[in-house]
Amino acid sequence: MLCCDAGLSYGGCGPPSPPPHPRMTTRLLQRVLHLIPVLLGTALVVFAMTSATPGDPVQIMLGDQRATPEQIAALRHDMGLDLPLAERFISFVWRALQGDFGRSFFHRRPVLDVIADRLPATIELTLAAAVLALAIGIPLGLLAGVRRGRAADRAASISALVGVSMPGFWLGLLLMLLFSVTLHWFPVSGRTGYGDEPVPITHLLLIDSLLAGRPAALAEALRHLALPAITLALPMAAVLMRVTRAAVIDVLRADYVLFAESKGLSRRRVLLLHVLKNALAPAVSVAALEIGALLGGNMIVETIFAWPGVGRLVVEAIFARNYPLVQAAVLLYAVVFVLLNSLADVLYGVLNPRIAA
Amino acid sequence: MRITKWLPLGLALAVIAPGFVAPSFIAIASAYASEIRVGYTQDALTLDPANPGNRDTETIIRNMYDGLLTRDAAMRVVPELADSWRRVDPVTYEFHLRDGVRFHDGALLTAEDVKFTMERVLGGKIGGQTNPRKDLLGPLARVDIVDPHTVRFVLSKPWPLLPAMLPFQEIVSEAFVKRVGDDGMVSQEDGTGPFRLKEWSRGDRIVMERVPDYYGGSPAVPPVGPARVDRVIYKIMPDNASRVAALLAGDIDIINGLPVTSIAQVRDNPGTAVMAVNGTRTFFLSINNAKPPFTDVRVRRALNHAVDRKLIVARLLNGLATPLNGVLSPDAFGFDAALSEYAYDPVQAKSLLAEAGASNLHLTIDVDGASKDVAEAIASMLTRSGITAQVRVWETAVIVPIWRDATKRQEHDLFFTSWGNASLDPSDIMMPAVHGGGRGNSAGYANPEVDKLLDQAETETDQAKRQAIYLRVQQIVHDDAPWVFLWLPQDVYGVSKRLHGFQPSADGKIYLSRVSVD
Repeated sequence: MLCCDAGLSYGGCGPPSPPPHPRMTTRLLQRVLHLIPVLLGTALVVFAMTSATPGDPVQIMLGDQRATPEQIAALRHDMGLDLPLAERFISFVWRALQGDFGRSFFHRRPVLDVIADRLPATIELTLAAAVLALAIGIPLGLLAGVRRGRAADRAASISALVGVSMPGFWLGLLLMLLFSVTLHWFPVSGRTGYGDEPVPITHLLLIDSLLAGRPAALAEALRHLALPAITLALPMAAVLMRVTRAAVIDVLRADYVLFAESKGLSRRRVLLLHVLKNALAPAVSVAALEIGALLGGNMIVETIFAWPGVGRLVVEAIFARNYPLVQAAVLLYAVVFVLLNSLADVLYGVLNPRIAA
Repeated sequence: MRITKWLPLGLALAVIAPGFVAPSFIAIASAYASEIRVGYTQDALTLDPANPGNRDTETIIRNMYDGLLTRDAAMRVVPELADSWRRVDPVTYEFHLRDGVRFHDGALLTAEDVKFTMERVLGGKIGGQTNPRKDLLGPLARVDIVDPHTVRFVLSKPWPLLPAMLPFQEIVSEAFVKRVGDDGMVSQEDGTGPFRLKEWSRGDRIVMERVPDYYGGSPAVPPVGPARVDRVIYKIMPDNASRVAALLAGDIDIINGLPVTSIAQVRDNPGTAVMAVNGTRTFFLSINNAKPPFTDVRVRRALNHAVDRKLIVARLLNGLATPLNGVLSPDAFGFDAALSEYAYDPVQAKSLLAEAGASNLHLTIDVDGASKDVAEAIASMLTRSGITAQVRVWETAVIVPIWRDATKRQEHDLFFTSWGNASLDPSDIMMPAVHGGGRGNSAGYANPEVDKLLDQAETETDQAKRQAIYLRVQQIVHDDAPWVFLWLPQDVYGVSKRLHGFQPSADGKIYLSRVSVD
């Protein structure tokens, strides 16, 4: 007999879990519908901020170049900067509804194309970092929670503190100096070596290498991915470890765990069936937020490892006052965050059906 | 079953393990192709030579496209795709094209291509966007074809600057542009340069391959002939520390923008060397000439005496800059080497301030984040002359438009800034930064005599007379001291010793066709 049968359920204890509640689908749909006001609000805020921020893309574009006032005025007109803000906003929303987010001031290409060029690198790095962080953070959190107060807990907690406190640029440079410059194990920068790219299908090099059946290309992509992924993963793993540890400690105090243990279930079975599942729920929420943030690109890690992702692109666009690119990117971030949070909600519900009920 | 439990892991290892061995074979294989890898700070914005570009974009493009004219190591303007040129009259220049030059798609370069290239820029709009490069051609009105190998550039008024500005214009193929359109030109190329585009992975790298039948480039820049290496890779690496690490690790052969703090490390490393060349950018403190007490020339001269530019160059810039007494680079046409120095002299500075009734002067130096340290050193020096100075750090995109607007800069005092002069012709820096109302005249300096002389020099075709005019202008500006004259930094590169024949260029271009590798 399981604890749930005894009416001592604490949340979604052990299997068998009930199927996702029909309301969960409704919730997901609601979250997706929330996208509309979120996107409109985001667009409005971005517009207000770009107009309130001082700076002039025309002056930046021209640099020290000779330019007549007529040329400057013509450029401003092309960029739509001579229009009132309200008109620019309405025009942007109208065009965006038709899938046109404008052209990058500096690249002379549609901003969606410019972002799409860089997105696969960011997605690949994010996924690698997330997998690594989950693989490190959750088992360590579980271990630390179960062995609370003991040496393993102390070691894991101190490591997590270091992981959270260490600035990404410092960790990245340290790893680079050790493993690239000194030991020559990993390359300093980039996604892969010239000539090692698989035929692009998904534009994720690991997957494309596998699809193309090219282990050498896969290994080369992994060698390039290793250091930036570790740099991003360690702080995230530290956060996940702390959240999981706290949740495990909390769950271990629950009546149903005491009951399961007292009726003679093995420690391992109790941990796997009852503790882990419940303790994972908060980690899922944190992981979703962290992955959302990583998908926005990490300017520092992308810059250090010359990783051609969106983070660097967008920060450069902000400095250059490349408004269309900034607006499209921020809207993209909003969509990613809403979708990931919705996904986290669903997973939360699966792990803890009480939430879905 | 235990075996089935480990099967997936075994399979995964079987797939991946050979891959870790394979890179060494790849390295051996790629070693047969000679290659130069450049760790470069910025990606190209576009590959269209007629596009609004920046120096970094042009540096990359210049490996694939040649111009009618180029510059030699001493920065003299020399023929490239043209084999000769002459001034027919004050408003007409004639260029004769080299015979048998081909674009990368095999088409022959003709006078029509030159005319089309210039008119594409003159047209004012490319891909629906206004093209600011139009102003780089000044009063060029049209290009006439004399015969298939001869073109005439006709100006609406005399403009002696034309030859100095033509190295900025690379020649495109009319047929190719019409085939791929303006949008296609953004990411495709068909130039006449020593390398052709192989791959552009945006934000990551640009790979170029040697053109075996390259006509050889300018005879004035030997050795002439096709590129010495099979491949060139511009690897985009914006972070200084990473570029240096990649150079030291042997991943990269040339890095630009070597930071002062890494010079010793690169110099002491057995496989790498430091190379430097005078840049073309004049650094100065713009003084708000319209705001009292800076309206008084004695105050402006006092500020010049209160800054020890030599000390800053020696200590903060590691000696990698040339102190300036005026506006122009020592490499520029018409440079006045006889301009007297505003010697560092706090006593004289105090005395001038007292004469002007500006003792106990309080001021603020505006600066962008990258130059904060230098501005703080200057502020600290000013205190020795009784001036209380504070530094205010700004984002470049914010502070530049403020100082370029007479109304917005009203309340500001000093601005640590610079202006580039890539053509090394005085007009290119004097007209925007010194002439009254110029786009870069952040000091708001206005001297009718200077303006008149500069306007005169713009159309003076006798180079000796032009030089005399610029010598006079330099003296007046020196005496008026609208700026605190500072220095001209060198461009510093870290270079692998396996390269031979690399020479940094003052215009920031990285010409690689004449470079070979061990």
